[in-house]
Order: sequence, then structure tokens, then C-alpha cells
Amino acid sequence: MDVTAASSDAEVVARVLGGDGEAFGLVVRRYEAGLLRFAARMLGSRDAAADAVAESFVRAYRHLASCREPARLRTWLYRIVANRCKSQLARRQIADVSLDEAPPVADPADTERDLERAEQLALVQRALVRLSPEKREAFLLKHVEGLSYEEMAAVTGERIPTLKMRVHRAREALLQVLEDHE
Amino acid sequence: MRVWLGLALVAAPLAAQSARGRLEGRVPGAAIPVVDSLVQRALAEGLPAEPLIQKALEGGAKQVTAPRIVAAVQVSLGQLRDARDLLIRAGDEPPATPSEVTTVAWAVRRGLPGPVVERVVAALPRPPRASAMHAVADLAAHHFDPDSAADLIIAAIGQGLVRERLLDVSAAAAHELQRGHTHAEALALVRRELPNVPASPKPTRSAVARARRPGDATPP
Amino acid sequence: MNAIDLRIHQALDGELAPAALSAELRRAVERLATAADLLAAPLPFPSLEARVMTLIRRPVPSRVRRLVRWLATPRAVTFRVRPVWSLAFAAVVALLTLFPIGHAGPDIGEHEGIAQFVGRFPGAQSVHVVGSFNDWRPGSIALEDVDQDGVWRATVVLPAGAYEYMFVVDGERWVPDHLAERLVADEFGRENSIVIVRPARR
Repeated sequence: MDVTAASSDAEVVARVLGGDGEAFGLVVRRYEAGLLRFAARMLGSRDAAADAVAESFVRAYRHLASCREPARLRTWLYRIVANRCKSQLARRQIADVSLDEAPPVADPADTERDLERAEQLALVQRALVRLSPEKREAFLLKHVEGLSYEEMAAVTGERIPTLKMRVHRAREALLQVLEDHE
Repeated sequence: MRVWLGLALVAAPLAAQSARGRLEGRVPGAAIPVVDSLVQRALAEGLPAEPLIQKALEGGAKQVTAPRIVAAVQVSLGQLRDARDLLIRAGDEPPATPSEVTTVAWAVRRGLPGPVVERVVAALPRPPRASAMHAVADLAAHHFDPDSAADLIIAAIGQGLVRERLLDVSAAAAHELQRGHTHAEALALVRRELPNVPASPKPTRSAVARARRPGDATPP
Repeated sequence: MNAIDLRIHQALDGELAPAALSAELRRAVERLATAADLLAAPLPFPSLEARVMTLIRRPVPSRVRRLVRWLATPRAVTFRVRPVWSLAFAAVVALLTLFPIGHAGPDIGEHEGIAQFVGRFPGAQSVHVVGSFNDWRPGSIALEDVDQDGVWRATVVLPAGAYEYMFVVDGERWVPDHLAERLVADEFGRENSIVIVRPARR
């Protein structure tokens, strides 16, 4: 069986575990965008996110046999990345106050709307970084990565009521910052 | 004290000689006489000269103009004078020890309010106080209230922690912040752990093996 | 942080239609939804595929090398062990110290320690660290990017104490150390980082 872009996660995992390591490239291509975005928002740094996600993929490859539900590979990958992000934040390896990106540089082609969006995004990102890692993670998984509470429970190992509370607190904190900057 | 004064009298001309020598070629020529006179003034007042020389060298390296270098060295001298006065207000017997003056000047530059610095000085009657000051400043840099930060470090001193172990205390409190606790919770948690806060890890053997001294040739 | 109306949460969780809310509550929902949309915008990143596949194709280090690396890596660990186990652990550590693997490195004096400088400068041709430990001499302490991944490092033996410093990238760009947590104004319009070197032996 050849793996193609249409192959399911379970098929790709079976292929990799069967000895075709190259098939793992498909997993990377399929999930890197979401994982990189999640890690970048968690860590506040694109470079740190690239490192964290690359290392997570390598770890996933080496421990692929322990992925108990290959059909839920996506959740399993988010779990690895989330853990890596939180342990990096705990070890203070990231200066998690400022992003790598320079402030938006005005380009004549930019509309006023683009600049406004860029400024708003910077404000939201700053507010996000002020949340504790657990609340930040909960908000990102729910509202940015679009996971259900069940999926979030599988990623974080936390109970759903705990996750709901974290999401609620994150929303409250973000709304406060957004309203303060009206 | 007499021995110290004697050494200071010997050290002063040496320091004066070495200041010009260190600045020449590194700092714009126009700045050297003024900086040199500021260094002399510092020495005459029993203040450390090294911070002033370093500030001038820094300006030269950063390719700053002579007037700005002179202004920065003047600011540094003012900071040293303020630091000396603070130490004496806090109870140190004059003349204030130059290394302690440097330490207190750092603490104020890092944003600690004068009264907080005085409290830490008073809590540690004998120098060196550098680690205690930096530990409190580290906490303030993490937005802990400076007075509460000083409380924690003073409590740690009371429990027998000294020197670099005080930096472990501030590191532990910052770590609790990262884990999601509020500032108040972090302080309380670490206070409860005293004196058993985790020590920072020693450098690994591979780090030591790689280590070079400044000026050593880069390995191929 | 103020608690917000429960209906805002319900709307955001899809349990209540926004149309059923008052104008004010709807505005709050929209504000949060917009924030989420902004965060959800794709971030342009080069693909990691080549990097990941290269790492995967590298042979895995042997168990022994991994164990040695694990033992040598500093960790903040708190042990509660029985004395007999701590003795056994101490014996292992002593053995490893007696039979060092690789170079011993420079002799570190009693009042000296190690400063490790790390910075991320992809695309840089050279990175130096300059500060009060080397009289602000640019060029005397070079960082290295050994595996060409944009991460530059140097490990330096210095007398114990506190120092101000900055990185100099490509001989001309002065940059504070973003990973350092201590910053101080340099009186020249920029900020220096501060490193505190602890005695290695204590």
C-alpha cells in the first residue's frame, strides 16, 4: 500500500511502523501548520516554536508505537507539543514576554485595516502571554486549534470541568485587556 | 581602617595611571582628559574607579560620541555617590567599602527603591551583599513588589542562606510564577520551603570542557 | 480579573445563540471571537519536513551514550532517598568524575565560574559577546554555531561576580541577550544584559 495525501492517519502510522520511515514526512506536512501556530502562540516566539515542533515530531516518530489510537494521531501530536511548550516555559528557556516578530512595518500597500489588524494581534498576543501556561494552552486549543473538550482532555490529561474553568478564566482575562485598550 | 586607607593611597596613583592607559585608543581622545579627571575625583572620595572606566570603555566600544561618554561617566559617578550615601544612612561605617558601593549602585540601577536597598543592607551587617541585592532585584524584575521581595530574601538570610543561595531563592519564586501561581502565592510557597529551595545545577562537565577564557584562541 | 456573564461563555461554547443576547453581551462575544480569529490566522513558516526527516534518518545514539548524556545534563531534581541509595548514587557520580570522558577542560579557580551565552541569530556570520568581563572589547569572545542551526553559543570561564554585556552580531549590530532576565539601562539609550557568574566549586 502506498501512502498518499489521501491516506488516513491510521494508514500512514501503520506504514511507518511497518518500516517505511519516509512515510512520516506526510505526517509532518499534514500537521505542521497547526502545531507551529499553536506552539508560536504558546511560546511567543517563532524560532522557539519551530524548534519545539521539530523536536516533537522527532519524538513522535521514535515513540510512534506508543500512539494507542492512530486514528487520533492529531490529538497525540498536540499532546507532545503542548507538553514540550509547557516544560520549556517552566524552565524559563523562553523570554516569554516579547515575540520575535518586529513591530509591523508600514508598507504603502498596507491598508489601514491591515495595520489595525496587526496592532490588534500584537495586543491579543501580549494579553495571551500574560496568562498562565495552562490557561493559555486551554484558550488556544479551544478557540484557535478548534479542539473539542474531549480532545482537549486527551491532549492535557485534565478533566473537562477543569478545562472549561481554564477556558472561562482565559476569556475573562483577555476580555479585560481588550476592553481596557478600547 | 588604617590599613585600608594605606592601601587606598597606594592604589590611587596606580589606578590613575592605569585609567589613561586603558582608555587610550579605545575611547575618543576628546573624552579621555575629562573621564580621567572624573576617575581621579572618584578615587579622592574613596569611591571605586572601575565602574567609571568600564562605562567609558563601553561607550567607546559602542562608538558613542565623546560628549555622551562624558555624560554617562558623570551619571555613573553620581550613582556611586548616591550609593555611598545610602550605605552610610543604612548603618555602614564610613568610609563605605568600594565593592559595596558598586553593589548598591547596581541595585538602584536595576530599579530597587532606596528604602528597600537600605533594608537589605541593614539586614546584612557584614558584606558582601551583592547576591542579596541581585536576588531582590531579580524578584523586582519579575514584578514582585520590592518590599515583599526584600522580605523574602531577608527571611532567607535569617534561615542561614548566604551568597549565591539567595539567588536560588529568587529563582524558585520566579519558577512558581511560571507555573501559574500569583506573586503572593509564589512568595508564600518559597517562604514555606526555606531553607530548602532547590540549588541551581552546577555546570556540566561538557560545559566545563568547552569553556574558554576571554582571549583564548577559538578551537578549530 | 472580573468574572463575566455566564451567557457569554455559553455563546462561545455554542450552547446559546448570540442573537439571543443583549447588544452589550454580543459585543463581548464578538470581541473574543475576533481575538480568536486573529490568533488563528496561519503563520507563515518554512516547512519543517526536511529538518525533521534529516533528524529521523540520523542513527539513534547507543543506550550507553544516552545514559551518559542524561547523567551529565543538569536538572533541578529533589530526591528523597534512603541513605543507602544516596551512597550508591554518590559512588556512581564519583566513578564518572574519576574517569572523565573527553577533555578535562580548563582548571577553574576557587573564585571562578562558568558563564554560558546563547543567542538565536539565524543568518548571522559572526556573533561575539562583549561586556565588562572583557573591557568591552569587541571580538575577544566569539560565539559558535556548531551545527549551523542559527543558535550561537559560548562557554566562558570568568571570575565570580556580576557583569553587563551585549551581543554583537556581524561586527556591527549590538543586541541585548533576549534570554537573560536581567536588564539595565546603559546610559547610551540601550539596555545591557546582566550575567551573574557563580563560583563553580561552591
